[in-house]
Amino acid sequence: LSFWIYTLVAVIKIALMLFVLLTAVAYIVWLERKVVGRIQNRWGPTRVGPFGLLQPAADGIKFILKEDLTPPHVYKPLFIAAPIIAVVFALTSIALIPFGNSVHILGYDIPLQITDVNTGLLIILGITSVGVYGVALAGWSSNNKYSILGSLRASAQMISYEISLGLSLIGVLILAGTFSLRGIVESQHGHFWGFIPNWNIFHGGQFIAFFIYLTSAYAETNRIPFDLPEAETELVAGYHTEYSSMKFAMFFMAEYANMVTVACLATLLFLGGWNGPIFGPPLLQTLLPVLWFFLKVFAFIFIYIWVRGTMPRFRYDQLMAFGWKFLLPLAIANLIITAFVVAVRA
Amino acid sequence: MHLALFLVFGIVCVAGAVNLLIQSHPIQSALSLIVVMASLAVEYLLLGAEFVAAVQVIVYAGAIMVLVIFVIMLLNVEHEEPRRKRLRFLVPVAIGMAAILIAETAFILYSVQAGESNLPRTVSSVGLTHSIGVGLFTQYLLPFEITSVLLLMAIVGAMSLARRNTILSSTARVVPGAQVLAMDIVNPRAVGNMTAVETATTAEAAHLLGVDSRSDPKDRE
Repeated sequence: LSFWIYTLVAVIKIALMLFVLLTAVAYIVWLERKVVGRIQNRWGPTRVGPFGLLQPAADGIKFILKEDLTPPHVYKPLFIAAPIIAVVFALTSIALIPFGNSVHILGYDIPLQITDVNTGLLIILGITSVGVYGVALAGWSSNNKYSILGSLRASAQMISYEISLGLSLIGVLILAGTFSLRGIVESQHGHFWGFIPNWNIFHGGQFIAFFIYLTSAYAETNRIPFDLPEAETELVAGYHTEYSSMKFAMFFMAEYANMVTVACLATLLFLGGWNGPIFGPPLLQTLLPVLWFFLKVFAFIFIYIWVRGTMPRFRYDQLMAFGWKFLLPLAIANLIITAFVVAVRA
Repeated sequence: MHLALFLVFGIVCVAGAVNLLIQSHPIQSALSLIVVMASLAVEYLLLGAEFVAAVQVIVYAGAIMVLVIFVIMLLNVEHEEPRRKRLRFLVPVAIGMAAILIAETAFILYSVQAGESNLPRTVSSVGLTHSIGVGLFTQYLLPFEITSVLLLMAIVGAMSLARRNTILSSTARVVPGAQVLAMDIVNPRAVGNMTAVETATTAEAAHLLGVDSRSDPKDRE
């Protein structure tokens, strides 16, 4: 590929991915309101468009048109920077997610991924760990006791659960032998015993690691049952108490974009990525892997919403005890056993 | 292109470090330190050390600096008030040290430029995941293990320092009446010393233990 075509393809891919991600974020919010509504025996949004399908657009217009309040007692530079930090890092990590094999268009072989880096997984972990600053600085710069309590909780929670999250991934890395997300997906290709797919959740025995990852991911994205940083009943709205209109919407977008990233990562690492049954004419054969990938991600998002409609919130000491005294030892045990099994087989 | 980016991020790194010293508010100093860490990561990346760059971001820019900011927020540290200058004799020492450092740097830069480069012009494998992994578990196994034991010692030390003031667990309480306590409960330095220490009253026992003398939880409310 020549330089200009490469740049053109990259720009098109970035624009497309951003569009898909932001639309997905908007409609995940819609889906969440609908599904949680059904779980609680009510309708959810119905007024705007058929089945309330235009509700995200109405919400977006409302966010843009509302007055952007900046309270007088805040530390202004960081107060403005915090939501930007949150949303930028949340949107950046999608650049490293591969969502299918490469496709042939006009004689060019174009991989379905914005950028393929050897250490893709590590870089995503780095981006998520830096993303905490959005939440931490939001609370501090708001100069409000509820906000700072929310921020303190968020930073402590994210540091604690990042350790078990990282350790749960190492088992997969040992099995795949690479940091490249594409390489990890390719290592899960094929079947065993005739029909069971070679996904890490079945084949590598990473079943426990998968649940450690899932639980830590809920804590990392501040979702119920670990949504302590924005616990409405105790902290008004937690770290974004002082935020309104578009700045609030940025935190909202960051949260849901992080959910999508976490779901994509779970799909790639544990559920075989875009691996799945492929059949039919050539066009269908190119599209099916992408479809499998999106279906798996959708399943994760649905579980997120389902859990939100089902589980109560943890107490803060329960959250910390669960992370350090249960998940962390379990993750270390899983790591040691996986390493031992791989060493014996080798 | 790489050289230009390397220079730009080098300047950003130095500017962040200078800003870290100039700023009077701890949060702004901490944020400058994050800039330093992040631009160092970019420098590693430009030098081809992907793994080191990623770990630099995860460990330093991510975990450690979040902890630093966490502590600053938790303690709610305000602006540093300008204190009167102490230890004035250190100022000339500092200037002398700085002069030596600058001279060393200048010497290194000069000698590198003067010498003929005979390094192989191939892509270095230093800083890649594989070479670091192999190095840590073969050639540098002993230093690696010693470092991890050192870190473990630091963690245990921090824990024992933190627990020193709270001799009893939060669930323990002093029962009304005369008390007989083991020596190692009264004095945390006398670990394993089970000599009995008798006290005449609850208040005296509570005083020895450093807890509230009102023993019953109901009384505290």
